[in-house]
Amino acid sequence: MASSETQPRFGQSVKSLLSDKVTSCSGDVIALTRQVLKGSRSQELLSQAARNMVIQEDAILHSEDSLRKMSIITTHLQYHVEHSKNLQDQLKHLMK
Amino acid sequence: MAATGDESAVMDSICKAPAPPTDLQLTAEPEHEQEHRRDDATENPKAKRPSTNNDGGVETAEEATEPAEPDINELCRDMFDKMSVFLQGELTATCEDYKLLENMNKLTSLKYMEMKDISINISRNLQDLNQKYASLQPYLDQINQIEEQVTALEQAAYKLDTYSKKLEAKFKKLEKR
Repeated sequence: MASSETQPRFGQSVKSLLSDKVTSCSGDVIALTRQVLKGSRSQELLSQAARNMVIQEDAILHSEDSLRKMSIITTHLQYHVEHSKNLQDQLKHLMK
Repeated sequence: MAATGDESAVMDSICKAPAPPTDLQLTAEPEHEQEHRRDDATENPKAKRPSTNNDGGVETAEEATEPAEPDINELCRDMFDKMSVFLQGELTATCEDYKLLENMNKLTSLKYMEMKDISINISRNLQDLNQKYASLQPYLDQINQIEEQVTALEQAAYKLDTYSKKLEAKFKKLEKR
């Protein structure tokens, strides 16, 4: 941290002390900000969350693909049942 | 006495003789030189004129410092502005991470909504299919029964055919006798 000495030393003027104090204060503010960010561990947690989501993306895409295939298969089954119903109507008509 | 007075005057003059010019010392100069120096100061503000004090024959001098800036308020404002920009930049990095995660979550939720719609369609279609299959079930049972009966009829026809062939062979044998 900055030196708490404010009395002018031999060879130092008040102005130079002031500039040193300002420099040290600004450095302290910067260090404090960085420490707050580092202590919150937000960078690590957020990057870990992003990494996990990227891993999950493959599974999500595969699930979506499977669901689309299931919808196509159910549509085909519907066509089959419709055809069977048509045949049933024809059979009824023939039995008459 | 006069000689001693002369000697003391000589000694004083020797003591007060100007030293060789250095950065720390600026004695009284003519005005035109002072103006020249002022012009130099505006172009290259390096050294302030330090004052020299002669207290009891001991020379003291102050440190040569930079001349005072004319607009210190502007400089301070500039310094604080730049500090705020720097701090904002430090915090913006974390904000961008959050925004990235937010966008990823939004896209994932959209994907899941699409998948939900697809799965709702699939469940509705399968329910309809089950109902239609339930309505067709009696006919399918009848078809199964018919198939079983036809299979039994086929077996009986084969047995009858075999029996009739045996009977024909016996009849021919008896006829030959």
